[in-house]
Amino acid sequence: MSIQHPLSPIQTGAAVRLVDIRRAWGSAVALGGVSFTVAAGTFCVLLGPSGCGKTTCLRIVAGLDQATGGRVEIGGRDVTALPPAERGVAMVFQSYALFPHLSVAENIVFGLKARSVPAAERGRRLERAVEILGISALLQRRPGQLSGGQQQRVALGRAIVAEAPVCLMDEPLSNLDAQLRADMRREILALQRRLGITMLYVTHDQTEAMGMADQVILLRGGRIEQDAAPADLYATPATRFAASFVGTPPMNLFSLPGETAVVGVRPEDMRLGDAGLPASVIHAEYLGADTILSCDLAGQTCLARLPGRVRLEAGTPVLLDFDRNTLHRFDADTGTRLS
Amino acid sequence: MSTRALEIVATWVLAILWVSPLVYAVWTAFHPSAYATHFSLLAPWTLANFAHAWEAAPFARYFLNTTLLVGVVLVAQFALCTPAAFAFARMTFRGRDTVFALVLLQLMVAPDVLLVANYRTMARLGVVDTIFSIALPYLGSAFGIFLLRQTFRQVPQELDDAARLEGSSLLGRLWRVYVPLARPTYLAYGLVAVSYHWNNFLWPLVITNSVTTRPLTVGLSVFASTDQGIDWSIITAATLMTSGPLLLAFLLFQRQFVASFMRAGIR
Repeated sequence: MSIQHPLSPIQTGAAVRLVDIRRAWGSAVALGGVSFTVAAGTFCVLLGPSGCGKTTCLRIVAGLDQATGGRVEIGGRDVTALPPAERGVAMVFQSYALFPHLSVAENIVFGLKARSVPAAERGRRLERAVEILGISALLQRRPGQLSGGQQQRVALGRAIVAEAPVCLMDEPLSNLDAQLRADMRREILALQRRLGITMLYVTHDQTEAMGMADQVILLRGGRIEQDAAPADLYATPATRFAASFVGTPPMNLFSLPGETAVVGVRPEDMRLGDAGLPASVIHAEYLGADTILSCDLAGQTCLARLPGRVRLEAGTPVLLDFDRNTLHRFDADTGTRLS
Repeated sequence: MSTRALEIVATWVLAILWVSPLVYAVWTAFHPSAYATHFSLLAPWTLANFAHAWEAAPFARYFLNTTLLVGVVLVAQFALCTPAAFAFARMTFRGRDTVFALVLLQLMVAPDVLLVANYRTMARLGVVDTIFSIALPYLGSAFGIFLLRQTFRQVPQELDDAARLEGSSLLGRLWRVYVPLARPTYLAYGLVAVSYHWNNFLWPLVITNSVTTRPLTVGLSVFASTDQGIDWSIITAATLMTSGPLLLAFLLFQRQFVASFMRAGIR
């Protein structure tokens, strides 16, 4: 049931560009001027905590929601005023949005029928999607008879047959269990690579973003915090929020005596040394390959990711050390990065 | 005696009270008139009463009238209530809530109150004594609109979004998404509507006065009136005949009906 290895792309993606997109409901601002460009064939993740406006952003690209200001371009064409069906996008919904009264096959070709695609062409596209997803045994079933993972595949199938240059996904894995989520993550990525389409993928899970994206757009409170490749997002977070949102466990942020800036150190850059900041152990969590040590550093909690097994009782005094060049510094007031 | 035992006894008493007219009707209809008020296990069974009733009045024509009436009302109600309910459920327009409140208000008006006013309207339209005139006041139904609106509102927005994105027009979405998902409601509502109009009596009695338009209920009442002489065996046979199709349908589809009612939220 796994997706075949990346072949040469069968279709091509289209670039997506948002220019100063705003959305407000009365006085409640959901998006306060969002601009970004996603190059054709890119896997772009819109990341952020709930209520940050990422789903609103996606729905505006789809045309399911109207922006109160700004412009959406797909493939260089201004689509701001176009209805969803004419924008050249396919979408996978969080709930999968499968029609419960239709069989799997009917669900997949629903859009093709609505667009009056000839039956022979419908059959060809259905066959191709079914082969890609390995769901030939399910075609006559109803969505209610499928497991969560199978429903997910059918939803993907519906997006594949549309052969749209842009695919939008709204938290597509949030209803799956952890194991299946990891599998589907790989499959979706392989699918995007194989089809060569542009992907806009919404999630609140930063591990999904790190593992799948070519480009991560981190949103918070309706604004972009950072727009970067995952490695850059991790290595040089642009804001204090970006630093604390990405990474498991997240970056330690604390103040040091004699420093006006807030300093940040990744837990894996921390080590126990003969010199350094005096702290006391709160708890040691052994994870197998490493141990997460939580320490009390002058009233602030600080996490250190140490290799192997570290046995330390609560209350043990330790010295936390790190290299100066692993230090991130952020403005205490604005939260922006200080180089 | 415990509450449970009391409940069981009460259930039986009510059930027997409810079914006794039916039992009496069956007994009388299948036995010669001599046994109408004389119960004997040895009484001979007969179908003659049905034959007499069928010949004594144009029941075939009444059946046709009622079927036409119920069919016209049902089709019109579905056709009119569906778009109205969809508009109230999923579209935003000015005055929507006010108009919907007016529709709900109509639920509070008992149809019999409007008997005279409706008759005048029909007279002005010149359609008195037609099957169409029996149906006309019932073609739009506030209850149907309300029920379908509630059902349509429960259709997940994401299904509507998905259909919209896939290129379905407004009518396409209504027809391919909303209507199929509301099937249990249509079934349950259809059942209520059919039984109501099959049994409706007062309005058809007022508006019709000829054999070619009378529905079964009015036909039966004319048949059973005193000037024809009262023969309970024939009257009960006719009654069973007229209510038979409905009764049979209920018994056959009982399970589906109950399930539909539960899902549609009508109890």
